[in-house]
Formats: sequence, C-alpha cells, structure tokens
Amino acid sequence: MVSKGRLKMALAAEKGTDFKKLNQKKKAKEAAKKKAAKVVVEEKPTESEEEEKEEEEEEDDAEGEEDEEMGNGVNLDAIDDSDTSESSIEMEKRLPRKPKKDQKTQAAEAKPNADDDEDDEEEEEEDEEDIPMSDLEDLSDAEKEDLIPHSRLTINNTSALLTSLKRIAIPSDKSVPFATHQTVTSTTLASEAIPDVSDDLQRELGFYTQSLEAVRQARTKLRAEKVPFSRPKDYFAEMLKEDAHMEKIKAKLVEEASNKKAAAEARKQRDLKKFGKQVQVAKLQERQKAKRETLEKIKTLKRKRQETGGAGLGTNEADLFDVGVDNELAKYDSRSGSGRGNMGGRNGGNQKRQKKDEKYGFGGKKRHAKSGDAVSSSDLSGFNPKAMKAKGKVGKSRPGKGRRKAMASR
Amino acid sequence: MAAVYKSLSKKDSKKSATTDDNGIKKNKQRVLVLSSRGVTFRHRHLLNDLASMLPHGRKDAKFDSKSKLYELNSLCELFNCNNCLFFEARKGQDLYLHCSSVPNGPTIKFHVQNLHTMEELHFTGNCLKGSRPILSFDAAFDKQPHLQVIRAQFQRIFGVPQGARKSKPFIDHVMSFSVVDGKIWVRNYQINEEEASKVKPAQDEVDATKDTDLSLIEIGPRFVLTPIYISEGSFGGPLIFSNKSFVTPNQVRSDMRKLKATKHNGRSEQTRERLSKKGDLGLRSNIGHERQPDETDTKRLFA
Repeated sequence: MVSKGRLKMALAAEKGTDFKKLNQKKKAKEAAKKKAAKVVVEEKPTESEEEEKEEEEEEDDAEGEEDEEMGNGVNLDAIDDSDTSESSIEMEKRLPRKPKKDQKTQAAEAKPNADDDEDDEEEEEEDEEDIPMSDLEDLSDAEKEDLIPHSRLTINNTSALLTSLKRIAIPSDKSVPFATHQTVTSTTLASEAIPDVSDDLQRELGFYTQSLEAVRQARTKLRAEKVPFSRPKDYFAEMLKEDAHMEKIKAKLVEEASNKKAAAEARKQRDLKKFGKQVQVAKLQERQKAKRETLEKIKTLKRKRQETGGAGLGTNEADLFDVGVDNELAKYDSRSGSGRGNMGGRNGGNQKRQKKDEKYGFGGKKRHAKSGDAVSSSDLSGFNPKAMKAKGKVGKSRPGKGRRKAMASR
Repeated sequence: MAAVYKSLSKKDSKKSATTDDNGIKKNKQRVLVLSSRGVTFRHRHLLNDLASMLPHGRKDAKFDSKSKLYELNSLCELFNCNNCLFFEARKGQDLYLHCSSVPNGPTIKFHVQNLHTMEELHFTGNCLKGSRPILSFDAAFDKQPHLQVIRAQFQRIFGVPQGARKSKPFIDHVMSFSVVDGKIWVRNYQINEEEASKVKPAQDEVDATKDTDLSLIEIGPRFVLTPIYISEGSFGGPLIFSNKSFVTPNQVRSDMRKLKATKHNGRSEQTRERLSKKGDLGLRSNIGHERQPDETDTKRLFA
C-alpha cells in the first residue's frame, strides 16, 4: 500500500504536478490532524499518530489515483500525437478512435441531465422491489423475521445503457445500405415460439425458423443492392471446417447408416428365425423321407432281381446293379460320417506342419492381436441394452420349483 | 517518386478509410480473442471455432491474470483491436465470456453454458472461412435497453465488417441469437440453396436465382449465454446493468450439496433423539439418569 502510494507520488512528481498535490496534501494533513485531535482525546499519542498516518496514506492513494487518471489523459494525448506521426506508415490498419478525454466529457455531459430524472424513476422502481438492508435496521425483530433478504439490488441504469449504446452502435437503419451491417431483427419473439425450453426439437425449430426468415429478408435486400449472395459452383476457397474434419463427419454418417442397416438386417433375421426353424425342420424331414424312399425302392428292386435272376444275363445285370447300389450306399455313409476327415485332407497328410502353423503362426505379428484400439473401443455392436434389462426374463427358461415338481409328477 | 506517390495515395486512402462517399463512417472492427489460464479443452475448442469465424479477429495467447483485467485494454491497444472477446475459466469448469469494446466500454459479462464445439457436434454444414454472416436477432433485442447494448456489441464482434481483410465475397452462413428463458442462445447455420424446380423455364436471371429454395444446415458451435452484468467502462467502471435472476454456478453446486446433506442430517437427528429417549428411560448404562428406586420395588418391599 505504502510503497505503491510512494511510487505514484514519485511518478506524479516527475510529471510536474507535485505543487498542486503538495497543496492538497497540506490541507489533508491539517484536516486529519484536526480530526485526530477531536476524535482521539483520551487515547495515547502514538495511536493517534498512527491513525493520522493511515489517513494520510489513504488520502495519498486517492490523490495518486486522481493523478494517475490525469496522467492517463495526458499520456493518451501524447499517444494520439505519436499515432498521427506514425499514421504515415500504416494508416489502413489503424482504427478510428476518439480520444479518451472527449468520451469522458461526453459521458459526463450526457449523464447529469439524463441521470437526474432517470435516477428518480430508478429509485422509485427499486423501492417497489428492493430495499437496501441499511434502511431496515430500525425495524423490529418480529418484522425482520418476515423479510426475505436479497443480497443484490437491481441495477438497470437505462440512461447509461442508452448512452453506451449510442457510443458503440453500428448504424443499421434504412439510411445505410444493408450490406454494411447485415443484421436482421425478427418481428416475432422467440420466447413465444418456444414455450418449453427443455423441449429440444421445438426449441431448435424455433431458432431455425427465426434464422430462415432472417435469411429470406437479407437475401432480398442484398439482391436489391446487387451484392453477390450465393457462391458460384466453381468458387473454391478455404472452408470453415477443413477437409479432414468433413471426412470425419462423413465417416460418422456412414457408420451410423451402416449401423442402422445392420440393425434392420438383424431384426429381419430374428423374425425369420422364428419362422425359419419350422421351415428347416420340415425340409430336413422331407429330405430324410426322400432318402428313405429311394433306398427302399432300390432294395425292392434288388430283391426283385434276385428273385427273378436265374438266367446268366440276369445275374450279370444284378452284379452290375449291386455295385451301383453299394456305391450309392457308401456315398450316403461318407456324406454323413466323414465331415472332419475331409477338412484335414485338403492340406495333404502333413499334420505336423499344420499343428506347428497353428501354434507358432505363419507370418505376421500375433502380439497385441487381442488388445483393444480406438476402433474396437468405439465399437458397441456387442452391447445390448436389453440384455442388461432383461435379467428377470432370463430366469423364465427355468420354471419355479413347484411348477417343476408338478411337471415331473405329471 | 515512389515516396511521393505513396504519400499521395495514403492521403486518398485515409479519406476513404474514415468516410464513404456518402459521408457515412466506414465500419472498422478488430477483435482480440483470448482466454484466461485454466480453460479446458472444450473451452479452447469453442474459442478456436469462434476465432475461425472471425476474419477480423486476432487470437492471442492465454492471459495470465483474472484480477487485473484492465490490462487487457493495453493489450488490445497493442494489437490494434477495438473489441475484445475474453474467455475466463474458473475452477476448471465454469466459463465466463467478457465482450468489451476497448477504449471506453461497455463490457458485458456472460456465463457460458451448454457449450458444444463444432467438432463434437458432427453437423454436416460448412461455409467459407471468413465469409460475412447474416446476424439474426430475436425481436426481444428491440425491447430492453440492456439487450440493445448486447445486440450492438454482438454486431461489432460477430458481424464481419464489409471489406475486412480476409473476408470472402459471398454470404453463406447465418448466426442467430435468440432470447429464451432469460438466456441468449447462439446458433450458426449454413445457407443452402437448391433449385426448386428444374422443369420450370427460367424467364430471366433474377427470377431464376430467386427460385432457389432456401434451407439451413447447422454448422455449430452451440452455446448459451446468460448475461451477468454490463459495466460502463472497458473491463472496469460502474455497473450499469446487472442480472438479478442470475444464479452463480457455485451457488447451484452448494445448494445441491446442501440438499444431499439434509438427508444425512435428518437421519443423525433421529439417532440422537432415539438415544436420548433411551437414556431418559434408563435403558443405557452410562448416559441419562439412573432410574429412581420405586416405592413398590421388590427390593424395597422385602428388604
């Protein structure tokens, strides 16, 4: 605190404003002394001195700040001057800015005349709504209990808001071309179009309609002013989202679509499964029936031949036929029995090689094959929320004890 | 010779820079976009998204102070910016946004909620980098003075000034600001034009272009701003508006914690009551009063 004040003092002294300050300081000292004398009569002289010092310091700080502000004003002017000299180098980048002093005086001018009447209104409004706690100290305890304390007062200084609005407003009335500001304020309140904020769909629709209306208006105005609006097809330039980003979005879309497709397929399969099992069983039965019938036919034929076959030509025929039948029978047998043998047969007889390939692998790295990566961890195809929820239903495959007993006794 | 030409042309440009031929002041804006320390990655991405939409913006390194915000004024002056968009993160979770016009205010402080960056939204919309947006405001921005100030500030910051250095000549996106529930909702859409009907013969060019169907595709980012206060100066000065209905996120969190705590408090209260009751009945060995020997006690009667 002290050092800061001194620093400021030193700065101020350098700027040549010290004589003014000295005067003020003297006055302040005198005032402080008087005060101290009045207030602290019985207390020790050391304490009073300390207080004095403190007060002095405070005063100094206040003065220092004042001085700083003044200094700022001076400095700003200096900067502006330097800017004008610099402006010969780069003027285009330099933004037109009013010096601070002018603004301050403007604000000061604008304030009092507006504030006087406005503040009265403000206070009236505030009286209706909020009352500062300091005004309520003389209330009785019973009354105090009924109060609901609000820590904050409403601040809504309309006049100050309007002055600062005037300062920063970009002209957007009809006197300037629309292309300079491109601002559209809609005619309908969004809060009316959106009764419930938490309803996502309705809310987004409200925003969408608002901006669509704005775009329609803006387009007609811009067309009237002959400002190019739509981008020609052969105009290529850097986009807001770069290609890598769009690629990602595309991948996401594709994934979503494929997921949807897969889900539909799965549902279809599931539906088919219910019906398909019956079909399969029927088909199998049909096949078996056909097989049985052919075998039966062959057997009967064979028997007939044997019964009738006394002649030499007949036996020859029967022999030939026998071979055919045996072949046929063997075929059926091999079809049903030797499923596994066939698989091994393809690679030749080298079972040792096969086993070794299986064990040690054949080319390529086998490490980390089972560890997860970005793709696998984002793949949620194995996750089924129904499986989590349907825990109760799983037990249904096994009926309760009583029911089981009843079933056994039946 | 070159120097003479330069000086002459400079004079010309100086005239045209400040005023148009109609005597209208040319709109020149530059925005310094920066954040405080301690922003999360989402905050940073949002900042990047916004910065990429502002060709008249300048991104700067993180600002290392949360108390001396007035230092931003000199920083803006240094970078030749007359607007500042400062993202302040607190506790590594709450994001505040200061919108200021620099030399002499006002400054608007917002609380940023529901923020979703462009990257995480996966919207298919896209637009030219640096094309000038159409700014669409809700009708509520006409009604109250503080909203008018906010609109003016947004016009300066988010509206790309005509003829800005890196801006593109076509208009293909719209930024919408709507006031719902006392908050400002910000959305960014691409303007998609499609030929309505190719069968229709085009009479002349103007009509043909007018026939295009307009639709919007969202680009992102999305966020919601709750105005907290407006101060008159730039990063300082007296408050000229403060939002009474704003509840700080800290308050919300503490209320939640208290709500949780009430459950436990109620239970512990019950336990204490039960124990004291037991003590009163003399059912506890060391706490509570001893039971007074009664007149009809067996020990008394048959002593």
